[in-house]
Amino acid sequence: MNNPYQPTPATILSMTDETPNIRTFVLKPDDEISFRAGQFVELTVPGFGEAPFTPSSSHFERETLEMTVMKVGRTTDALFNLRPGGVLGVRGPFGKPYPLARFEGKDIYIVGGGVGLAPLRALFLALTHEMGKYKRVYLRYGARTPSDIVYKHLLPGWQKLPKVDVELSVDVSDEKWMKRVGVVTCLMDEIPCDERTSVAVVCGPPMMMKFVNRRLLEAGFQPENIYLSMETNMSCGVGHCRHCRLGPYLTCKDGPVMTWSQIKDIENPFV
Amino acid sequence: MLLARYEVFVPVERESQVHWHRLASPDIEANTLSITPAQKRIRPSEPVKSFMFQPRQRVGGMPQPAEPGEPVPRVLLGIKNCDLVSLKVHDKVLTEGGFNDPFYAAQRKSTMLVVADCPSPEQSCFCNLLGLTPYAQEGADAVLSLVNGDWLFETERRGQELTGMAPGLFAGLAEYAMEITVRGEQRKAAAAALSVINPRPWNPDLPGAIGARLNDAAFWNRHADSCVECFGCLMGCPTCYCFLLYDQAKDGGLERTRVWDACYEAAYARVGGGANPRAEFVRRFANRFDCKWNQFKRDYGMYACSGCGRCFKACMGRIDIRKVLGEL
Repeated sequence: MNNPYQPTPATILSMTDETPNIRTFVLKPDDEISFRAGQFVELTVPGFGEAPFTPSSSHFERETLEMTVMKVGRTTDALFNLRPGGVLGVRGPFGKPYPLARFEGKDIYIVGGGVGLAPLRALFLALTHEMGKYKRVYLRYGARTPSDIVYKHLLPGWQKLPKVDVELSVDVSDEKWMKRVGVVTCLMDEIPCDERTSVAVVCGPPMMMKFVNRRLLEAGFQPENIYLSMETNMSCGVGHCRHCRLGPYLTCKDGPVMTWSQIKDIENPFV
Repeated sequence: MLLARYEVFVPVERESQVHWHRLASPDIEANTLSITPAQKRIRPSEPVKSFMFQPRQRVGGMPQPAEPGEPVPRVLLGIKNCDLVSLKVHDKVLTEGGFNDPFYAAQRKSTMLVVADCPSPEQSCFCNLLGLTPYAQEGADAVLSLVNGDWLFETERRGQELTGMAPGLFAGLAEYAMEITVRGEQRKAAAAALSVINPRPWNPDLPGAIGARLNDAAFWNRHADSCVECFGCLMGCPTCYCFLLYDQAKDGGLERTRVWDACYEAAYARVGGGANPRAEFVRRFANRFDCKWNQFKRDYGMYACSGCGRCFKACMGRIDIRKVLGEL
């Protein structure tokens, strides 16, 4: 019997605090969840509720799943009260993955904001695992303050990878910050790849997505080459319950990653 | 024998309301058809979906997972074509989209649908505007038609089982040429009556018209103004299938219930962080029309509406969707 609403138990192996309100959980599901970067899972905190998250680990890692979660409400509050050894429920994977075959041979320009770097990390790890297939990977990441940057311990290593170019900015700096200050679009004044043929991938808060998307279009990126992570209320995950409808799409089935050419006619898609 | 094998439900009238009633005693069998309002042209206010897509259904749990269990063999005797068509909507969403809802699928398969012709429609009926007929055309296990005081019983292969099991109930039912002719005339008369009730067809490009008007708040507000957000239209709708997966703590784990939901609910589309794409009611009101008469038609080739009229019979604000759609 295949019941798409039934979660599989997953044990918390370890946790890392990324920022004061963002934490990465390493999970071991009882049954393997073989996702592809960009797909999401529904995470259940037993007795409190369920919410959608995109894994941030590499899809080449089969045994465990890493989820980087921001504490924003009832379910995530309860999640943050759990400790290693605690058991969650997980369903999935759901939705469409990044179409990596379409990225081959191209420059990939990734723009992230805040906790939006979580799904982009899964993409980044998938790309750099097979870097020979792609031209170069550019990562532009902005956070509110230096302490709000996720994956602080990983970013220096990413910068050293061949064919990878990472730049960071913060909205508000502190005395130790030596890099750019400003919202993430300040890193986009000069775009070092060929805008007409490159792929752009964006994930972050809605307002950030709106302005980054606008900047990408101004720079000359093609609407079908701009991939945006759409945030809607994905509840069932399987296209049944209808909560996540976005214009003609169900985000859980047709997304959560969609191109600007798909959603450009929807009034104010970034809510 | 019929009642030993099946739960049999018929519509009965109580205090001027029609409800589903389970036949409990074998001796009632002989009188079944005389108490069904099949001949009284009315349908129960409970939508037929409640038999297989229950308002509350346990669909998951930890540590104890949920399974559909043994479905109940059931006969729904005397449903109307609008209710038959409404199940197609659930079939498409819950069983044909790649992921199956095993709870719905099992009970749907185990339910026999005996459709009765509508001899004459009510003022709230509008199946004709959707291109439907007041009698079954496909998908019924058997069809009942009242002809000259007798029942004409037309069966698909699956429905033939019924005649064998309850000979008293279906005695005298046969396909006589004369009766079939009369039935055809009655059906034509019912269809003609619907054209009198709803003479003006909708915009032939209803999906396009809704899409074009989607952000015209003034248009939707004019109709939405009297809505009191009771959700009666959505709960009574035989085609609405939105649901919420609702978790409660149980035995140190959880119990997950699938409950009917309503897209008019303020928090319906709200995300975890608090953002809400349809925070204003007028957007949720327009969204319902966009969902049922635009997007569903584009996605599945049919409207998520079967013209039964339950929504505006339930409406305290007296919003008649025929009027809203008729203005598009």
